[in-house]
Amino acid sequence: MNIQLGLVIDQERCIGCEACTVACRIENNTSLLWIKVETLGGEEKDTPNGKHPNLSLNFLPHLCNHCERPPCIDSCSIDALVKLENGIVMLNQEECTGCKACLSSCPYGVIEFNEETNIAEKCNFCSHRINENLEPFCVICCEGQAMVFGDLNNPNSKISQMIAEREVFQLKLEEKTKPSVYYCPPKPKYNL
Amino acid sequence: MQNNPFIMKYRTCCPAHCGIDACGILAHIKEDKIIKLEPAEFPDPIDRRICLRGLSSLDITYHPDRIKYPLKRVGERGEGKFIRISWDEAYNLIIENFKKISEKYGWRAIGWVLGGPGAGTTKFGAYLRLASLTQSTRVSAWGYGDAGLPCGSRIILGHQFPYIHLQGKFWQREWPELLIVWGTNPGESMPLQNMRKIMDAKEQGTQVIVIDPRFTITASKADQYIGLRPATDSALALGIMNIIFKNNLHNKNYILEHTNGPYLVRTDDGKLLRGKDIGEKKVEAYILWDGASNSHKVVRRKNSGDICLTGTYKINGIEVKPVLQLLMDLASEYTPEKTAEITGVSPDLIIKLAKRIATAKDVTFLTHMGFTRTYHGDISLRGLISVAVITGNVTTSFSSGYLPATLNWEPFLNARPGEPSYHRLGILKLYDAVIKGDPFPIKAIWFAFINFLNQCVNTNKIIDEFFPNLEFIVQTELFLTPSAKYADLILPVCSFLEFSDFLSFPYPYLQLQRKVIEPLYESKSDVTIVSELADRLGYGEYFKGGEESMIDMIMDNPTLEGVNRKVLEQGAVKLKPLPEGGSFPLGFNTPSGKIELYAEQLIEDGQALPVYLPPLEAPITPEKRKYPLSFIQGHSRFRTHSSFANVQSLLDLNPEPLVEINPKDAKSRSILNNDYVTVYNDRAKTTLKARLTESVPSGVINITEGWWIDQFKEGSVNHLTHDIVNPVQEKVYEPNMHMNDVAVELKKAEAK
Repeated sequence: MNIQLGLVIDQERCIGCEACTVACRIENNTSLLWIKVETLGGEEKDTPNGKHPNLSLNFLPHLCNHCERPPCIDSCSIDALVKLENGIVMLNQEECTGCKACLSSCPYGVIEFNEETNIAEKCNFCSHRINENLEPFCVICCEGQAMVFGDLNNPNSKISQMIAEREVFQLKLEEKTKPSVYYCPPKPKYNL
Repeated sequence: MQNNPFIMKYRTCCPAHCGIDACGILAHIKEDKIIKLEPAEFPDPIDRRICLRGLSSLDITYHPDRIKYPLKRVGERGEGKFIRISWDEAYNLIIENFKKISEKYGWRAIGWVLGGPGAGTTKFGAYLRLASLTQSTRVSAWGYGDAGLPCGSRIILGHQFPYIHLQGKFWQREWPELLIVWGTNPGESMPLQNMRKIMDAKEQGTQVIVIDPRFTITASKADQYIGLRPATDSALALGIMNIIFKNNLHNKNYILEHTNGPYLVRTDDGKLLRGKDIGEKKVEAYILWDGASNSHKVVRRKNSGDICLTGTYKINGIEVKPVLQLLMDLASEYTPEKTAEITGVSPDLIIKLAKRIATAKDVTFLTHMGFTRTYHGDISLRGLISVAVITGNVTTSFSSGYLPATLNWEPFLNARPGEPSYHRLGILKLYDAVIKGDPFPIKAIWFAFINFLNQCVNTNKIIDEFFPNLEFIVQTELFLTPSAKYADLILPVCSFLEFSDFLSFPYPYLQLQRKVIEPLYESKSDVTIVSELADRLGYGEYFKGGEESMIDMIMDNPTLEGVNRKVLEQGAVKLKPLPEGGSFPLGFNTPSGKIELYAEQLIEDGQALPVYLPPLEAPITPEKRKYPLSFIQGHSRFRTHSSFANVQSLLDLNPEPLVEINPKDAKSRSILNNDYVTVYNDRAKTTLKARLTESVPSGVINITEGWWIDQFKEGSVNHLTHDIVNPVQEKVYEPNMHMNDVAVELKKAEAK
């Protein structure tokens, strides 16, 4: 079976610190945010939902879902977007012409446009690191150790076991893109 | 990044003063330039870590605003006008001023104000060594927020810190049934050493409770959040103890064995009854009441019989009660209803919390400095520890894990054995020393790794009264910080990647903070600066070998046998484990050698028991107050205190100061989200953007500390804070600054 690299993000362990965002910008030498942490709570960043002291606050990092059926690839007229053998959806910046078609094709809104270079950018799962047998930089810099990376098609991988054992969800399954990023929801709270 | 043979990789570690995280860092270097930092490996892979600040360290090292040369002030203080001078000129200027001042006032008029050295050791030690040699004044920086906790800990446990007693097992990854995180937000301030472990414990079934005025990131991960009014922690502690006592759930055997709970107290003067009071031969001995023989007993190492913890007795006509009875009497006043009135926590929740603490198999209390930055913060800690004590949750012996290292501080504290060393002054006492000459005048200050004006209380007092009374100000700095602008001489220092130091963090590791590039521009390390200055003052022999010899010196202790710079260059070294089956008592350096639920030295102050005393400013009854809002300063994950405030990559994610205010309080003041508002009290005002959020309760506002003064529209957090000394803290240790015990009002800013 082919490899499909994927990611599980455990909301129970995500503390919303944005070390992933900072790590990604440094590793990929970009000013854009290829991974963005959404606050699930109040309307503003880091604010909770509810009335004090009965409150809830969680975080949801958004990044390229490296879909098994990626609509962005179909939208790209010049093959700047390709699905690699390891499942990574790769955007080659050298070939991108800046037509922006992929931006609107992505149901997750995670393809960014660099106004200075007129080129689309997005998460490539640190493909350059994968080639050296390293994990994506955000994964090793995650403060909460909330990210698990690996081959979704290998049932013995840590990520596959986590998906098998834990309650998980994916974003926008109705789009039928088969995303490779999974999330574990926060666990129930044991109040006094 | 390709596997490039021209890239060298060196292991160092980050001393960014998050306290104890001290992340190992692998620096990638190409042609003398650091091109990348990544989290370095640790012997135990689970400990590999970095945070968003550590990741952004190159933005400090290669920051365009770095001070590159020694700068001499030419404009007015604070104006920011400086000219470049050489290092020789800088040293000559220092010697000239030190000479002038020491001849007139003595060397003790020269003060070394050393801020949070972070996890660093020798950069701090070198200054102490020079202060010791010159018998000048070391200004202790514990008092700028970190003296309240030691005060409380010294009183009840006899130790500077309570950590090994409260959370030692937790650090060994022994997860408790219940974890109480009280008055601290490790989710932002200690994400790796503490927050990760909280989540690890929770995964293994630990129930997590967070007690904090703010619903923090840490609180968001808790099973139960308990929001209380700022500075009311000791009332909550008494309310909890009341329920535990009422339900007879306290751990009597523990109290008998490890505390002064059974010791008898005279009801006439509150003193502990001694042998001499009742004609016993052992004149200084404490006295117990034995219920079996219905008579008193002199305290011995092992006390048999039926020792009483409660009751009232008469011995030779003197009425006495056991300490625990007095604590029970005090706690009984704190009914759930009264406690709720003070703390804002519901009576029902107080009862449930108390019963849960008392019935859990084991409880870890994880705490830090935040809630002790109130006028009576030392008692808040004693209250917390008292709850832990009466339920038997204070560890009394070290029985597993890695033995903490002991560093060789002696040559730094006393450079010439047998001769007098430096004078010592708490940083809050420095205000009077400079302004009034009390207890002695300070006329010159050397600031190192501290943004004094920005981070210390009562900004206007510092500008208007403190700085003008100083004849000479030196600051070692990377940047022209708000404080550095007031210096007469600024010396450029290295970032942590440009010099070496030794770190005994994070537990259970030892690390080398290794110089990975040469100092940039004309910058030097603090140790190098001290060494070169010492040479010119005639003390060069004490600093021979610079950074490396200082590191060797501080590591010269049997607990560090076999560990040296060469070994540490290869990576972090794990501390030695306690031999299998070994165990030793931790001991308590209190007058009685026990945990002191009752502190005899504080009888006159009315604080022998962990009483609840109303906060100095924080309003409990806002409707009656001119300044009805309680102002607190949380910590932000985007800064370590005021470090990183000028780093653009982090400002991208967190661009400006915000005052967090509850929507109810905003509405009554006609304030909308993102409006500019002015926060004020009699001391000063500050203007910044409002963030409406339920994370703070009505009656409380929060502005994270560490933003630089020039990042506000006007004022800053510490323009609002006060410099009032708590005399009890001064007596016990040194007085703390009370940044979280401040009252303010807030209004929509006037359009400009």
